[in-house]
Amino acid sequence: MIVGAILLCLYLLYPTYQDSRNNKEVDAKLVSVKAQIKKSNPSITAAELKERLSSIKDSILVNTPEYKSAREKRMKLGLDLQGGMYLVMEVNTAKLLEKLAKDPDDQFKQILMQAEVDSKDTDENVVTILLRKMKAKNIRMSRYFGSIREDDDAIAKKLEQQESDAVTRAIEIISNRVNQYGVSEPSIQKQGSRRIIVELPGIAREEEAKRLLQGQALLEFKMVKEADFAIPVMNKIDEVLAGLNKIDSATAKNAIAAKTDTTKKDQKLTEEQFAKEHPFFTLARLIDPQGRIADAFVKESDRNRISALLENPEVKKVMPDNIEFLYDAKPEKGNDGINYYRMYMVNKTAELTGGVVVDAQANIDPTTSAPEVTMDMNNEGAREWARITGANIGKRCAVILDGQVYTAPTIQGKIPSGRSQITGSANMEEAKLLEIVLKAGALPAPIEILEQRVVGPSLGQDSISRGFNSAWIGYLIVAIFMIFYYKTAGSFADMGVMLTVLLTMGVLAAFQATLTLPGIAGVVLSMGMAVDANVLIYERIREELKTGKTYKAAVDAGFKISLSAIVDSNIVTLLTGIILYQFGSGPVQGFALTLIIGIVTSLFSQLVLVRLIFDFMITKGYKINVG
Amino acid sequence: MRLFANINIDFMGKRSIFFLISGVIILLGMINILVRGLSFGIDFKGGSEIALQFQKPIDISFVRQEVDKIGLGEVEVKTFGGSTGILLRSELQEIPANILPRVKSRIETIISENFPGAQKQVIASSKNSITYEFADSAAATSISNTLFKYGFQASKVSEEPSNKGIEVRLGISDWIKDNLTEKFKDNPFVVEKEDKVGPKVGNELKRDAVVAIALALIVILIYISFRFKFSFAIGAVIALFHDVLITLSVFSILYGVIPGLNLEVTLTVVAAFLTLIGYSMNDTVVVFDRVREYLKLHKTIPLQENMNRAINNTFSRTIITGLSTMFMIIVLIIFGGEILRGFAFALFIGMITGTYSSIFVASAFVLEYANRTKSKITF
Repeated sequence: MIVGAILLCLYLLYPTYQDSRNNKEVDAKLVSVKAQIKKSNPSITAAELKERLSSIKDSILVNTPEYKSAREKRMKLGLDLQGGMYLVMEVNTAKLLEKLAKDPDDQFKQILMQAEVDSKDTDENVVTILLRKMKAKNIRMSRYFGSIREDDDAIAKKLEQQESDAVTRAIEIISNRVNQYGVSEPSIQKQGSRRIIVELPGIAREEEAKRLLQGQALLEFKMVKEADFAIPVMNKIDEVLAGLNKIDSATAKNAIAAKTDTTKKDQKLTEEQFAKEHPFFTLARLIDPQGRIADAFVKESDRNRISALLENPEVKKVMPDNIEFLYDAKPEKGNDGINYYRMYMVNKTAELTGGVVVDAQANIDPTTSAPEVTMDMNNEGAREWARITGANIGKRCAVILDGQVYTAPTIQGKIPSGRSQITGSANMEEAKLLEIVLKAGALPAPIEILEQRVVGPSLGQDSISRGFNSAWIGYLIVAIFMIFYYKTAGSFADMGVMLTVLLTMGVLAAFQATLTLPGIAGVVLSMGMAVDANVLIYERIREELKTGKTYKAAVDAGFKISLSAIVDSNIVTLLTGIILYQFGSGPVQGFALTLIIGIVTSLFSQLVLVRLIFDFMITKGYKINVG
Repeated sequence: MRLFANINIDFMGKRSIFFLISGVIILLGMINILVRGLSFGIDFKGGSEIALQFQKPIDISFVRQEVDKIGLGEVEVKTFGGSTGILLRSELQEIPANILPRVKSRIETIISENFPGAQKQVIASSKNSITYEFADSAAATSISNTLFKYGFQASKVSEEPSNKGIEVRLGISDWIKDNLTEKFKDNPFVVEKEDKVGPKVGNELKRDAVVAIALALIVILIYISFRFKFSFAIGAVIALFHDVLITLSVFSILYGVIPGLNLEVTLTVVAAFLTLIGYSMNDTVVVFDRVREYLKLHKTIPLQENMNRAINNTFSRTIITGLSTMFMIIVLIIFGGEILRGFAFALFIGMITGTYSSIFVASAFVLEYANRTKSKITF
């Protein structure tokens, strides 16, 4: 069992080891890339170079399957160890309420301001406080929100819904931008009713990242290019790229061709061949083979390559100025389990921007019982919208938030009133998301940063090495002390400690837990505590030996009688560890987790492993020196 | 080797001496806390903190002087890590009103230096941000980028193509960084760590910490009453209170006394408190377990005598485990770096008092309680 546990731990820790090796490998490769970049562009600044290299490194690590799988299975490092940014944000409800209110007068603004101030010190919702204050002043909520027939509580409930929608919208916007920015392993979570926790590991350009999270999102309506325009353009791009490839490979081949005969294989188009001749369509696979629409599926990992190809000056020449390629906000999973993004060719200039949308509502169409979203525009928008829809019947219009396509419905007819129905959402959830996105222009999600922690990468590296140094120095001291004090038995305890550490790391890796600096401290501390069970047992054996028991009887008694003390004392420590985990945040939780795992694994290794050694030695007739 | 193999000390008989020692330390600590107050980190107070790493060694008193000139009132300046690192901290949440004009004029100087003749208009201004509007969106974009390069958190008001406005957020740490970049041009720095905690989060964290410690004590009270006796639980919890109070007292007494040791109550220090509660309890339970065993074996021997024997016989174990954990804590203090030092130091004090209390205080209180209530403890 113990051998099994050790092997399992080694297996679980292998990806972590592999990942760090991969990292080194890629770094080594990058040295030559660096020289190349420097040669081709001598004027590049150090910061730009670093940025280029880090993005190349990221793309290598993410796009090579072996690297990626090791990366996914490795033990995660906390932000304090790898550097990065941690943000706690909250939707500013007061600002949202002010936007939502119909004709807010000074009296309302004053009450709202007070409510906002009050909310800073309590957990209560701004809406709740506002409601109370309005009641105290004998003002009905319906004066500013909702309709006259609704009672205050119903209105408050609706406002709270608006608030939670604003949080969803903010999360959507943030994850959109973070994805575009290319942060690896970002984490964006909702906490409570209106908080968002964002963790961006390894961000070197933190200022820029912070900037990403600010500013209003941009909602746009853009016409999707039709197939009879788009496909010829794509064909041209493909041709140009294939031509470029040929020049490249021709120069390479010429050298070889001089030696080798032209023993060319006249085979059918192999996949490789296809890739060579159609570099663009290999990456962007047209969805409709008949070519009625020009949308294409692109592998998640190929998006960077496509944009690199499109940056090529030769390609730019054949690409019209007024178009661009955009992707769906959410990927679709292919049969092969890979994420594919739908790519659209759209007009670069937007027909309308989101400011004209005054309301959106997701509901079920009563006749077809399919989910749909109703969107209302202001007068100005409605006029434009009528013109646009009238001129483009049968074409598709994409709804785009910060450059990501959410839906691209076909315009069925001229919409004169500004009130449009968008159908085609797969389910109510999707429709609801669309509703929230459509409101981005009318109701920006004002967010405030409540807490922000940034750790530079060098400090993180420093912390890792300090953590590891503490661990092995600490282990050596305790190990020597135990051997010195308990002789042979002490060395068994040391083995137990070793096993404890291995098991702890293995369990952490198995849970995909995050290792933080306090977490390493937790491991170091549990090494100190791990010998405790053995100390209890050995002391007891010594005592029993003193009362004149035989060696075997003393060992038996030592293990048996100490058990209740060991169990009780460890359960108490375990309980405080669990409380710490429950109430701690971030790094403290990391500490609590390693502490808890450390206690359990140390009990296992001290009680099982050491007992096993003792039993084995005794049946063989050895006497173990307990000092 | 054997330490304390045959000791026989009358711990229980001398309990009033130990009560006195602990009482005096706690009293001193409490007076100290009342007079000087505890120094909380920004986790609990809210505020901004930045750690900077300069390229060359830096004179901290010179930095202090320069920082005083910035006009943010009290900004703490400490060393961080070696001689090239400094830690700056301000409790302020926002830039004070009297400094605001200076910040604004600095922004405007940057704009007029880089974009002479740019038409600008302030459309909104608060303690946290200023919003400008420019003649056209191209100007707004390039001015925003320039301000950003200077270290201000400038961004466009919206991504709309017709957007002409930019919003400049004003943060304490941005203002400090901007000033120091200017002053230390020949010795550039990188930001190692930057924390900003709002007052609301600070209050919540404080409350969570208190709840966590209280909950830990209650859980222990229940568990010990269940496994042992209620009187044992009382003794255990009093011992824990004692440990936390003494550690807190030592923290407050030694604050600012030892150079290079940052004794502030932060989140990790609270984590250390909870850990020491667990460890101290661990020791106490081992002693209690032995008392329980002897009480079952020697029913006729008085409680005090049984307790003395239990403590004497577990004494060696208590010290050995304490020592091995202490080695680790000392290693963490020495090698663990700046971030873990306060945490490790809290544990250091906590382990000493924890070991002390499980030997001298916990059982003594159980005995005291049993004597006062005249109850006989049997298992």
